[in-house]
Amino acid sequence: MSRDLGSSRLWPTEVWSRPWSLPRYRAGAMWLGGIAAGIVVIGAGVGELSLWGDRLLGLLGRFGLPPVAVAWIWVLVKLGCVLGVIVANGLWAVWWERKISAHIQSRFGPMYAGGFHGWAQTIFDTIKLLFKEDVTPAAADQPMHALAPIVAIAPCVMAFAPVLFGTELAAARLDMGVLYIFAFAGISVIGVVMAGWASGNKYSLLGGLRAAAQIVSYELPRGFSVVPVLMFAGSLDLAVIDRAQAGYWLGFIPRWFVFYPVVGQVSFLFFLIASVAETNRTPFDIPEAESELVAGFHTEFSGMKWSMFFLTEYGYVLLSSFLLAAFFLGGGAAPLPFLRFVPSWIWMTGKAMFMMFVFMWFRWTFPRLRVDQLMDFNWKFLLPWSFANIGLAGIMLWWMLR
Amino acid sequence: MISYFKTVFTSSWAFVAGLGITLRYMFKPAVTVQYPTEKLHPYPPFRGALLFDAATCIACGLCAKACPSSCIALAHQVNPETKKRVPKVEWYTLDLGRCNFCGLCQEACPTKPKSVWHSLDYEVVFSTRDEMVRCWKPGVPLGGRVWDPVAKDFREPRGHLPASASPARK
Amino acid sequence: MFINMGPQHPSTHGVLRLGLTISGEVINKAVPDIGYLHRGTEKLMETRSYQQCVVLTDRWDYCSAMPNNLVFCLAAEKLMAVQAPPRAQALRVVMCELNRIASHLIFLGTYGIDIGALTPFLYAFREREMILDLYEMLCGARLTYNYIRIGGVAADLGEDWVAKCREFLEYFKPRIDEYDTLLSFNPIFLARTQGVGIIPRESAVAWGLSGPNLRGSGVDYDARKSEPYCGYEAYDFDVPLGQTGSCWDRYFCRVQEMRQSVRIVEAALARLAPGEIMAKGVPKIIKPPAGEAYAHVEASRGDLGIYLAADGGAAPYRLHVRAPSFLNLAILQEMLVGRKVADVIAVMGSLDIVLGEVDR
Repeated sequence: MSRDLGSSRLWPTEVWSRPWSLPRYRAGAMWLGGIAAGIVVIGAGVGELSLWGDRLLGLLGRFGLPPVAVAWIWVLVKLGCVLGVIVANGLWAVWWERKISAHIQSRFGPMYAGGFHGWAQTIFDTIKLLFKEDVTPAAADQPMHALAPIVAIAPCVMAFAPVLFGTELAAARLDMGVLYIFAFAGISVIGVVMAGWASGNKYSLLGGLRAAAQIVSYELPRGFSVVPVLMFAGSLDLAVIDRAQAGYWLGFIPRWFVFYPVVGQVSFLFFLIASVAETNRTPFDIPEAESELVAGFHTEFSGMKWSMFFLTEYGYVLLSSFLLAAFFLGGGAAPLPFLRFVPSWIWMTGKAMFMMFVFMWFRWTFPRLRVDQLMDFNWKFLLPWSFANIGLAGIMLWWMLR
Repeated sequence: MISYFKTVFTSSWAFVAGLGITLRYMFKPAVTVQYPTEKLHPYPPFRGALLFDAATCIACGLCAKACPSSCIALAHQVNPETKKRVPKVEWYTLDLGRCNFCGLCQEACPTKPKSVWHSLDYEVVFSTRDEMVRCWKPGVPLGGRVWDPVAKDFREPRGHLPASASPARK
Repeated sequence: MFINMGPQHPSTHGVLRLGLTISGEVINKAVPDIGYLHRGTEKLMETRSYQQCVVLTDRWDYCSAMPNNLVFCLAAEKLMAVQAPPRAQALRVVMCELNRIASHLIFLGTYGIDIGALTPFLYAFREREMILDLYEMLCGARLTYNYIRIGGVAADLGEDWVAKCREFLEYFKPRIDEYDTLLSFNPIFLARTQGVGIIPRESAVAWGLSGPNLRGSGVDYDARKSEPYCGYEAYDFDVPLGQTGSCWDRYFCRVQEMRQSVRIVEAALARLAPGEIMAKGVPKIIKPPAGEAYAHVEASRGDLGIYLAADGGAAPYRLHVRAPSFLNLAILQEMLVGRKVADVIAVMGSLDIVLGEVDR
């Protein structure tokens, strides 16, 4: 099936001067609009997922099982949902990243696998990775080599326990949810160091240590930029933070923390930058790009072990997106009062996806920082200003409460 | 102090401007072409795979002399009675593996229309070395034939763009 | 510790082997090992006619092949005392300057990737695609043109070529400003390249650098201005200079050169008058009288020179190429010593070498 385009090819000057005259552009816009409308309609039809959860729990109770069994089954259901979200995110985020990067670069991205815009591309890539040979270097520490990916991804999955996916839609209702998430996200560093050590390669070890140093350093401004949010909300519980952002000023400006003067924007930006650095994404991805000259920490891992590291990175991107949405963008709250017919989980997911888009947007726009510049930026700029931000939040809180 | 904040603001503004550029390009239509379902047609002067017409060739050998890679070989016909040279080619071979698509053979050919010329075929792929050598005798189509060492006979080259898809010869 | 930045490597811009001796983060010794792309063109040319030699010249600096054709033809024309007619000279200028833009676009894209900005590469190639289309409309080839011939040029422009070229130039001028916003003045890019890889003036001259590498260190030398050819003395353009000789200066020189090339192409297109494209009296079989000639042009990568020794026969007796990338590469032996490993790629990328020219 070969379609000749004729003797002249379309230059950008011809294609961009009148984009709406291109059939494929109109078709793309209609598809995007249709998908968005479809999501809104399905969301409005399904309603709040927390209500469905309550109904499911009630249904389970009616089978006459002892309450302990019902509790265990309910935990397994919630675990399955969280794992499903993470795996689905791995498939979706990679595809979306390829599409976003492609359109930023005036090209198409995956178009072939599965037919419509290559939606099955990541599935096929995963199958290919499963077939790859697991090469472990002889000089490597064999048990560590096998454990490193697991130690990297397990905390990522566990950190999702209190994450809010909508109003009352979290796997575990923890009154110290924020602390729990940051604590578990920090354990993955051990997996990175193990990976560097287990490669049996001096430069992989250094790469792993460098990556670990980067991750640990950026945890500080990340935590400190959330402190104003905790001060304003008065709790570490994500559901309380979510509720504190409900409501509107003047009837139409949402009370999201990002809109709080100066403090909101600074906290948001610092949390965003620190999250980008935490997840080793450009502009902070020297540990991965260092494999140009010296080995990065995951160079000696192939096949499924490598894809575990990959899933971990995208898992943390998802976690950071949901946290950004929960802390600063109002969680499940609708931006305007009349849009409240769309349920909270759609809004939450939409905001998280928007933040994920911002992650990808940063990656494909900025060059990367050198390691020492990266550390300079953290310790000499982000950290001092996040302290100042906390001070400013304190002043603002005092003024609001007096 | 002021210069510190100035640096912070100019840097932030530079970042935002860069982000704006990439966002703008994200909404513009892509300019690439989905090969192989969509194919671009080269412009008429394009120097693609060579075609040869034994009917118009006068076996002068100028193309073979002009080629920098020595990829053309030919022999002229000999009249069996008079033993004189006939200005017609007995056989003609062209090694596309050596050809560097410079167009000198096309320029050197004295006949009108030219007997050897570049088509618009850019999808010239081979799976064996034998397929690179195209052979003609009078009567063989313009794309030539390749020697198949397994079948020990000549056959049509696979995947060759039909000569009708090329523009008129110069 | 000895690290081999081997012939296959994403950042060496070709098949270059760089042997680095490092202790910790600091480089003690850097030895460029070349020859992986050596095809023996200087020797091959001794058995090829002058027409056929032009085909071989395309393959030196394959990112910008027009100046390669041009310098060889200038050397032969010097021996034959032949001058190309004015229309051919204007066409030569247009093609060489468009090729300079195309080559610097490759540099921009690949240097961006070296530093980590992955998007300008695609933008640069989108623009370069239009230039390659223009060349395809003109001579039929997109990379190895075989267009500039001894005595003139091979083919004349089609009817709509000038309009298409002007369309491209109008489209391209705002793009350079976009590249500046996206890459050149991006604070991260500035932090990575300013103050890195500084080549002082004396070093630059002593090591024989040329092109934007030399001008980035502040030395005002451009073959188009010092020994004009093809009528360059009539065109009004600036030669951008750098201040400190850092990677950024060399990079920005190239970006500014793209702007100047656009100016030159517009002036040359305005200057195009109907006329002959090949000098009269150039025989089919070119046999320059015995003698020696040296011709040099400002190619995209530096000062490209040809020393041609003819013996009156149909093939050159001996030809030597003064390849700019070959000499530019040598300074790595001095520049990398004492630097950090993380800077190697930024420094090497800023020299903009093409291995086809280094190895010939």
